[in-house]
Amino acid sequence: MLLLLDILTTAAILFVVSVGLLAIFGVLKIINFAHGAWLTIGAYCAVVAVKMGLNPWAGLPIAFVVGALLGGIAELLIIRPLYRRPLDAILATWGLGIVIGQLITLEFGRDVQLIPNLMSGTIRVLSVDYSVYRLFVLLAALVIGALFALTIEGTRLGLAARAVIMNETLARSLGIDTDRVRLVIFMIGAGLAALAGVLLTPLTSVDPNMGVAWLIGAFMLVMVADTSYLALAAACIVFGGVQVLVSTFVSPVLGGISIAVLAALVLRINSRGFSRA
Amino acid sequence: MTAKLFAASAVTLLLATVAHAADSGPIVIGVPVGLSGANSVVAPSVVQEAQLAVDEINAAGGVLGRKLQLEVADDASGAAGAQKAFDSLIYQKKVDALISMETSAARNAGLPAVGKGHVPYIYTSFYEGHSCNKYMYVDAWVPEQQVPPIIDNFVKDKGAKTYFLIGSDYAFGRGMLGFTRKYIEKVGGKVVGEEYLPMDGADWTPILSKLKDAKPDAIITSTAGGAPNVTLTKQMRAAGINLPYANLAVDEGTAKSMGSDATGIYLSASYVTGIDSPENKKFLDAASKKFGADLKTPNDLSVPEYEAVYLYKLAVEKAGSTDPAKVIESLPTVSFTGPRGEIKMDKEHHAPLTMYLGQVQSDGTVKVAATFKDVDPGDQCPNLK
Repeated sequence: MLLLLDILTTAAILFVVSVGLLAIFGVLKIINFAHGAWLTIGAYCAVVAVKMGLNPWAGLPIAFVVGALLGGIAELLIIRPLYRRPLDAILATWGLGIVIGQLITLEFGRDVQLIPNLMSGTIRVLSVDYSVYRLFVLLAALVIGALFALTIEGTRLGLAARAVIMNETLARSLGIDTDRVRLVIFMIGAGLAALAGVLLTPLTSVDPNMGVAWLIGAFMLVMVADTSYLALAAACIVFGGVQVLVSTFVSPVLGGISIAVLAALVLRINSRGFSRA
Repeated sequence: MTAKLFAASAVTLLLATVAHAADSGPIVIGVPVGLSGANSVVAPSVVQEAQLAVDEINAAGGVLGRKLQLEVADDASGAAGAQKAFDSLIYQKKVDALISMETSAARNAGLPAVGKGHVPYIYTSFYEGHSCNKYMYVDAWVPEQQVPPIIDNFVKDKGAKTYFLIGSDYAFGRGMLGFTRKYIEKVGGKVVGEEYLPMDGADWTPILSKLKDAKPDAIITSTAGGAPNVTLTKQMRAAGINLPYANLAVDEGTAKSMGSDATGIYLSASYVTGIDSPENKKFLDAASKKFGADLKTPNDLSVPEYEAVYLYKLAVEKAGSTDPAKVIESLPTVSFTGPRGEIKMDKEHHAPLTMYLGQVQSDGTVKVAATFKDVDPGDQCPNLK
């Protein structure tokens, strides 16, 4: 039971962390290597919110809005000229991530920041005591996933986004303002990353480099999921499951690299990864 | 002929002036320290304490009538940076001594230059032990001094028999827990689990589930400082684990940044700010007077730096000069009573230290739960006299 909960909550955390990256990669076809920096921005939004005397939960909406606004600025100034040069975009976003990390260091210092936990304690699930917060993250992942699905499948923006994913030239010739779609999707992706940053604060340390540890895993998951959020969910459950199983029964050191190894294996066997599923 | 003689005497005169200048000018102490990289959080406090000691000594008349002067260099917390920092301090700045807290990688990279340049070197960081060099003395703790107070206390007060060890996967983490395991087995305890996560790992969940399954009496952790330590403690508390918990890598500053999650953690150190002695009170007053709001909390890495400057001063005075051969002769013979108590580096280039077992309180301060007088560092360098 403990093992099952570990797998489910680990998959949920991976999903929350990587869904913003997936949104941007799916529509914009560029990999946002500043994703880790947006996670960090989100966490520091929570720090600032608490310092201003707000309820720690207020960090969630604040981070989403701040992350989306900063994402919008970054898209207009840095990402937009680079859509036709995806390799340069990798460099530019990686550099942007470093700049953001240093700006945060300048303002807040390198120290670990203290935030009161959103939730603490354990709850009895069937036969085991389990962390309330990890179960909450599982719920949050389901809610975020459902809202994401609704946006993509059920709204005009989602329709336009899917059109851009399938054939951007055709979409533009049909009168869809693809520049605006890109901007909005980048803002949503950045906002989701910042939101994930807040959700991570009770689980991890808040410091200027906190995003880096999560970036690689998210990147691998998005590589195998391609553009589909359902494939991402599947990849999170499979990879997260393997990570937990390897860590539990073999060694946590090997468990730490299992996502990278699995991603390489999956892409070797089937270059489209999980997206056909 | 006359011209030659004149030139020769001019050179002699010049040399004499230079030599004279070297004897009456300041005594230069090199401080290679990790201003950037992993140590950058703690390095500013180390520099502050070195500055404080130098200013106090200069205000009291200096050493043998000469002033002390600091020369700080960034070693970037690693081997490559340390080589450059040691080379430039020894060969360009011509320092009389090196006194510094550094990572083990930086220390090992700098030692060859210390041996070639014949410069006395006081290493002021706690470390994994058994680093030996004719020119190096250590005034901070090694595992033989830090671990036993914790285990002894857990055995005696908590009746703990089974232990679970968790660490970051690197030299210091594995070294500390390796010694801990040996010591636990020596006193008749049992290690029911020993798990490591890579230094950049952020998810301790599977290890914590194993810990719950193993049902130990107590937990000992030794992670890399800062982020991994905070992450592990947060996740442990979230998983509802409230066993006796000793953290070999936590300091007061980190404990404070963990907030309520840190409450109850045991730590073992040769310095905590709560030491109740006149020397510590005087030191803390002087430090807060000098640096005011900019004061970085004095800690187990910065206070040994402060004391090492005094130990060097006493050694130079006893030797009557800054001659390296004489100074390294007299270094193990002098003792200084500082904030941590009496320090004398007379045990194979290491120092017996008074260790404090502290427990983090709910307001983030550390309360001294037990004091262990003059804990012996053991046989660190049997081949050095």
